[in-house]
Amino acid sequence: MKFRGKIVDVACLNHFTRVITTVSRLTKTCVLRLTPDNLLFVLSGKVADGGVSMWCELSQANFFDEYQMEGVSSEDNEICLEVTPENLSRALKTVQNAKAVKVKLTKKHCPCLTIAAELPTLSSVSRVVTHDVPVDVIPRRLWHEFKEPSMPDFDVSVYLPPLKTMKNVVDRMKNLSNFLVMEANLSGEMNLKIETDLVSVTTHFKDLGNPPLRALEALVLDLVCLSSSSSLASTDLPPLPPGDDASQDGGPSQSRDPEAMAQARVDIRKLQQFLMGQQVNPSKAMCNIVHERVVHLILLHEDVSLQYFIPAVA
Amino acid sequence: DDDADQAEKVSKEKLQKEAEIRRLKEEDAELMERKQKLQLRVQRRSVYQDFMEQVVKMTKLALRAVNSAHSAYACFLFSPLFFQHYSLGSGSEQGSGSINCKLLMKCAPNILSAFVLGITKTHNLRFQESEALQAVFASHLCPNVLKAPARLLCDMVMHFPLSQEEITLSVTPLRVSLRNYCEEGKDHMKTMYTEMSLHPDEFDFFQVGVDLDLTFCLKELRGLLSFAESHSLPVSVNFSAAGKPVCFSVEDVVLGASVVLATLIDSESRGPSQPAETLAPVTHERQDCSLAAIELYTTVTHHTQCHESETDYLRMKKETHQQLCCRDECVVYVPRCADAAVLLMGSCEADSGEPRCTHAEMDLIASSQGSPIINPPALMLPLPQTDEPNRLCELGEACASFSMTPASSTICSLLFNALSSEQDSDGYDSRLPVLACYSDGEESMQEDHSGRPSL
Repeated sequence: MKFRGKIVDVACLNHFTRVITTVSRLTKTCVLRLTPDNLLFVLSGKVADGGVSMWCELSQANFFDEYQMEGVSSEDNEICLEVTPENLSRALKTVQNAKAVKVKLTKKHCPCLTIAAELPTLSSVSRVVTHDVPVDVIPRRLWHEFKEPSMPDFDVSVYLPPLKTMKNVVDRMKNLSNFLVMEANLSGEMNLKIETDLVSVTTHFKDLGNPPLRALEALVLDLVCLSSSSSLASTDLPPLPPGDDASQDGGPSQSRDPEAMAQARVDIRKLQQFLMGQQVNPSKAMCNIVHERVVHLILLHEDVSLQYFIPAVA
Repeated sequence: DDDADQAEKVSKEKLQKEAEIRRLKEEDAELMERKQKLQLRVQRRSVYQDFMEQVVKMTKLALRAVNSAHSAYACFLFSPLFFQHYSLGSGSEQGSGSINCKLLMKCAPNILSAFVLGITKTHNLRFQESEALQAVFASHLCPNVLKAPARLLCDMVMHFPLSQEEITLSVTPLRVSLRNYCEEGKDHMKTMYTEMSLHPDEFDFFQVGVDLDLTFCLKELRGLLSFAESHSLPVSVNFSAAGKPVCFSVEDVVLGASVVLATLIDSESRGPSQPAETLAPVTHERQDCSLAAIELYTTVTHHTQCHESETDYLRMKKETHQQLCCRDECVVYVPRCADAAVLLMGSCEADSGEPRCTHAEMDLIASSQGSPIINPPALMLPLPQTDEPNRLCELGEACASFSMTPASSTICSLLFNALSSEQDSDGYDSRLPVLACYSDGEESMQEDHSGRPSL
């Protein structure tokens, strides 16, 4: 197993750092999957996490100047590591002004992702900083746990309001209740509700817009196509929600009352965690709700996609 | 005839030239004399200035703190010039003119953080009288010295998280590196290791004898580094070996600060093996390494007779002034231009007639090793032109019988008074530097110096 990457562009380094910092705010540990074309930060829903799962995909070509990897074997040309993203974030934050940053898989006291940077100085000899971030190699037999989650059979898909506004609302609601109900309909309306014995508060958002199903697919497909590899394995595409051919084109919108709200009651802290972590305004932010099952949040940036699943609670 | 004329002319010329040569020689001699006089004046003036600097530095407000494990000590010294108003009242009955007390640091930030124009706030702080506390550490005796702008050191430590406790500074002639220190234990495998290294060229001053690994607490140092950076002061790092303390210090015209940190005695140290006589080692939870504590001395200033041999100087002093020195401990002030902040203390041996520095740990400074108190007037002669920083040690010896913690204005006037006594012959006066004539409220005895210092 070998991995070696090099970032020389300061903007790429900055963006890479911010993505990892966002991931670090969502989860303490996660799995890093290295493929020839992508870096994937994966958190698969476990009861301990409250069942949230996360999928963050970066196209390596948009960040790394040099990128070489050799997976476990030629058929399974991938490396799977368990890592604490906060360590990576911390390491990268200190080297933002580096001339070049190398990330490599090494074996020190244990397997590590070593971040080595050369910093500019006035003297002839550069300053060198190395951070050894310990990682755990995940054996092949467990890889199936970290596959991309399939697009759920959602009832409503809606664009999110400005994340900052949402965050302010959710922050205040958190003081009143541990659970929040998210509901939205196909008329571009979304409500955030909390209810306690003493008080109930609802915040209404209007005119958000709904992404058409096809557009949603296309967006995700676009992202997959960003990777330089020409062959697209079928597992890379999210499966279409089941349904007959007639309803495929319009998706659920055809048979659903546009005013009808699909809702899910979620742990407010999970939603807050998601909103707190966002550092850059995404180009697209949307939310899919499966009625009383799961809230699926999708953020799309130019070269990064982030999906976050929050399960509904009773 | 022509020949005769010629000869006359030549001889005339010769006479003229000889006269001129004589004249020029006289001129030369005059100029040499003037030059010597001026040089003398310059020397005296620089001695005077240096001494004045030291005197100003001796009058100070000192804030000192030590942690409970005695592994970190900080000392901030402020000269009165730092303050708009600085007065030491008559509150002290100790007679030394100094006040030693303890304050709760918790209140300090609140008081000092808010300055609003037009409003006068008066805060009354409770304090407890206490003994003065100082670290025994002769930083100027450390063979290894690094000096760098605060910015460089801040850039070095910024790679480590604020929660990082210990750090190892590794020094070789080709490389200086910092890495986080983690003891063996359950977290060892999970910890992120960071190392940053740079070339000694980046330091303003780099003097390192042997390859060395120093492990100390980074947390205790961060305060001084940010202080130094905010004042754009260079930081000096003085250390000798693993297990011995390391001193980080900064200095400004009106203030100085130093932090002395204990370092780990590491059994795997790359440096030469340390002899057993390290500073009072305190065993910690660590298994293989022990953290050497910084030894502290307390001074007890009291009103006692001085039993040292009574030189003219002392006799004269006794007649005109109150006793200042104490019998049990005396302080030898060891000034070093870059580090006036740390005082070396020793103990007087009451039996011998001379003050001595006998602390086992410290290499004795040659000039103070059992040497008698020299008659001050001799000291005031212009000193030879050397740049040795301990040139001023000799001046310091004149103060050997003074208690210096912290000095007050009384001492300054004392110094002046002592040297302007009737005992000095007139011949001395003209050779003595200005300070012989300046004193509080006494008339000046020499006119050729501008600007009296105001104390």
